[in-house]
Amino acid sequence: MWIFNSAFGKIFKLIFFPFRGMNPWVGMILISFLTALLMLFVFRFSSNQEGIRRVKNKIKAHLLELRLFKDSLSLSFKAQRNIFRYNLKYISYSAKPLLVMIIPLILILIQLNLWFGYEPLVPGQETILKVELEEGRSPLDIDLALEPSAGFDIQTLPLRIEEESEIDWRLRAREKGVHDLTFIVNGQRLTKKVAVAQKPLSKISPMKVRRSFINELINPGESPLPRDLPIKTIRVKYPAKDMNLFGWNIPWLLGIPPWLIVYFVLSIILGFVFKGIFKVEI
Amino acid sequence: MGTGPFFRNSKPYSFCFRKIQGPIKKRNLPPFVFFFILLLSFSLPLQAYVGPGAGFAFLTSFFILFLTFFLAIFSFLSWPFRFLFRIIRGQRAYKKSSINRFIIIGLDGLEPTLVEKYMSEGKLPNFSKLKKGGTYTKLQTTIPSISPVAWSSFMTGSNPSKHNIFDFLSRDPKTYLPDLSSARIGKPKKTLPLGKYNIPLSKPEIKGMRKSVSFWKILGQKGIFSTILRVPITFPPEEFKGHLLSGMCTPDLKGSQGTFSFYTSDKERIKKREGGINIPVTLNGDKVETYISGPENSLRRNDEEIRLPLQISIDNDKEEALIEVSGQKFKLGMHTFSGWKKLTFHPGLGIKIRAICRFYISQIHPHFEMYLTPLNLDPEKPALPLSHPFIYSVYLAKLLGSFITLGEANDTWALNEGVISEEAFLELTYSNHEEWEKMLFNAMDKTKKGLITCVFETTDSIQHMFWRYLDKSHPALQSGQANMSANVIEDLYQKMDELVGKVLDKTDEKDVVIIMSDHGFKSFRRGMNLNSWLYLNGYLSLQEGKKESEEWFKDVDWENTKAYALGLGGVYINQKGREAKGTIHPGEETKALKRELIRKLDGLKDDERNAIAINKIFDRDEIPSGPYLDNCPDLIVGYNEGYRISWDSVTGKVNDIAFEDNIKAWSGDHCIDPRIVPGIFFCSKKIKIESPSLIDIGPTALELFGFQVPSHMDGRSLIDIQNFSLEKNRKEEKK
Repeated sequence: MWIFNSAFGKIFKLIFFPFRGMNPWVGMILISFLTALLMLFVFRFSSNQEGIRRVKNKIKAHLLELRLFKDSLSLSFKAQRNIFRYNLKYISYSAKPLLVMIIPLILILIQLNLWFGYEPLVPGQETILKVELEEGRSPLDIDLALEPSAGFDIQTLPLRIEEESEIDWRLRAREKGVHDLTFIVNGQRLTKKVAVAQKPLSKISPMKVRRSFINELINPGESPLPRDLPIKTIRVKYPAKDMNLFGWNIPWLLGIPPWLIVYFVLSIILGFVFKGIFKVEI
Repeated sequence: MGTGPFFRNSKPYSFCFRKIQGPIKKRNLPPFVFFFILLLSFSLPLQAYVGPGAGFAFLTSFFILFLTFFLAIFSFLSWPFRFLFRIIRGQRAYKKSSINRFIIIGLDGLEPTLVEKYMSEGKLPNFSKLKKGGTYTKLQTTIPSISPVAWSSFMTGSNPSKHNIFDFLSRDPKTYLPDLSSARIGKPKKTLPLGKYNIPLSKPEIKGMRKSVSFWKILGQKGIFSTILRVPITFPPEEFKGHLLSGMCTPDLKGSQGTFSFYTSDKERIKKREGGINIPVTLNGDKVETYISGPENSLRRNDEEIRLPLQISIDNDKEEALIEVSGQKFKLGMHTFSGWKKLTFHPGLGIKIRAICRFYISQIHPHFEMYLTPLNLDPEKPALPLSHPFIYSVYLAKLLGSFITLGEANDTWALNEGVISEEAFLELTYSNHEEWEKMLFNAMDKTKKGLITCVFETTDSIQHMFWRYLDKSHPALQSGQANMSANVIEDLYQKMDELVGKVLDKTDEKDVVIIMSDHGFKSFRRGMNLNSWLYLNGYLSLQEGKKESEEWFKDVDWENTKAYALGLGGVYINQKGREAKGTIHPGEETKALKRELIRKLDGLKDDERNAIAINKIFDRDEIPSGPYLDNCPDLIVGYNEGYRISWDSVTGKVNDIAFEDNIKAWSGDHCIDPRIVPGIFFCSKKIKIESPSLIDIGPTALELFGFQVPSHMDGRSLIDIQNFSLEKNRKEEKK
């Protein structure tokens, strides 16, 4: 899985490379455009284009019927019933491309979360480093040490919380750069990357996880932890990234982060804009 | 702590993961299946589900639902107000109505003698049923008995002098050139020259020439709803309370009455073709690079034709071709019509002009030959208005699919000119018919009260092109295609009977159904070149040294011409003060010349066949008068059965042959003495008049809906409304 993650991650690195120093909106527009193209491609080749066209025409016809027969209440209701019926059919026609799209889309979203989800730390900023152990493992029994780093000050001794099976440190960022935090666990050395004051568009991995298909799929930012160690995750808390539109910070919506809202809106708009050019019925 | 910004109010991925990881591992499912289960249960995919791809579908879908909901609420809440408004305005339209629906099915040119014959043979059960329960009789047509004239009289309830339509063609007395009698389509009056473009600053002129008021417009003013489908001379569509789709005389995208394209690699087949153009092609291996000939580009100063590139790749083994045009590719087998294909022409400045057409490959070996229908205005995005309201044609196209919009829908010229076979013509014609049937039944389903009128020209076209099979002595049987039999006509009548049956099935006692034709049909064996006769008899002169004239009187010496023929039945006196180079004074001199012509032409004999060619000449001073009588030809020729004006005479050609055999497939006609080509009239109710006329149908509709017939109408109501109401009451009491 790590090989896949590494390769897939490199594609995104390549895509965003020229835009790293620019406002994140530039990268967001680009990736939304590429996503729109991908979605149009999937829709074109996996959906029943003729069926969608036919059903959409029927819906439009019945909408026009509402205008043409506005004096007849019974015809208006019939038209509404037909609109609803064809709408369901339309949704059923969209189901196949949705199923096809869902896998690439999740992979893309996971990658985008690394690029647009977090703000790097700034020198002087404090954060919490948290090591989560496997269930039932007491943090008091484990031999775990965090080595001092040039990039960070370790501000506290390890806090071992037995109920949560975790060990926490408070850190303060000292220097710009991507630093390695080094742990020694049962005599084995582990590293976790921490980003301080990066370019406006940077990849940030908040969590390193133990090797497993799903863990690695969802957290592709760093190589996995070995399975033979009692550590499940190593996590650094980063602030969430804002998407600022002409001075207005796009807010969270029902728990959905701003970048995801922007990404959805932009890719949908661009999809609709380019559907005519690529002759895709959606 | 540790919650990523992905979901501010949810747990981090690992927490969710932890919950499902255990059971999955226990079941030892493969990672891929596990992954899918994860997708369905995990919060991230749910958000992906409303993401860009899904968003396309769901946004559209939700938008439609929202719009529907909004419209439903609006419609529901506003209905009582609209109802009240109608009451306040005194438009309780159906209060005095004796019926719910008045349904008129026009079967253009259905011939009474054939209907009677087939009915007596038991081949038209539905017509017979109508006759038995109601009325069957012949229907008086107009003078002349030509569809645009007849249908204009039908819709206005008045004689031609009141509605201004006397023929397909009218003439411009200043130029002696023909004009379409029903509509004028002109370029925008104001333009701004800009480089190679002429930017229009005003709308193009689209003007209907038919005068007077249709009875559905009068009904609309009283609040009665109508659906009018394909009635001739309804282009441009007029505003009224109801829906209207224009019929005969609606132009194609080129502005003509239908111009087909014939692609051929056979040089010997390139010749002048009426109603169409040849496009020679060269086979480069198996490929043909050619074009579709579009309309003139009125945006450009030089009015050049807009063309669309057309590529055809031929597969000789499969006998099919891959056609690439206007951004679409499709395969088409030989002897198969494509569906309607949408074309987009680009005249410039980002403007798009849309058309629809159908392709038909008639030959691959030894030469490639392909027929392309005239470029119909796309009903979804028409370049000219096709319907009232404008969205009605859009609605029909969205609901039922693209459909033919050209007025002269059935391409009789393509068959006449040998470009398509008889079989192909029939297939195309019945395909058009099917589209109109769908429209009719949609209108019947949607109209619970009001008027529904639909005219089918299928009957007219097929009889024009196949009548020779009923006439064993027809000259066209000896030349040209003759692969069919009289069954074609019989089949046509039986198909129309089925249509009548389907209509009757959708009606009840509260509906009145009329099945009618505007005129009948007779054989067209011999053509008379009236202009040649006028020339041979000294009424029309040619320029010095000329013994014949090319089209449109090109070589006529007007200064020495007394009379000329134009259109399908008209003769005009070359009158001073009216015609540009008139020679005959109005008043007594004109009257004398008319008398002289009537004397010579009435009962004129075709010596070669020893038969009467002309039954009667109708003097315009003797036909019913009206405000537009001045536009009527001075004389209208009533040909005998078997005769009609010749093809050359219609187009203003002059030579020394007055009579000639008609050897074209177009072998039946009705542009003759109206007294011998009445139409048919079936009604689901008894009528009070023995010999009804076309002009009586409008007044009948008005009276049945409870309104007085306006004084300008010449027709009378056919149904005794008092008896009808009594009969209705009795039936209701019985129930």
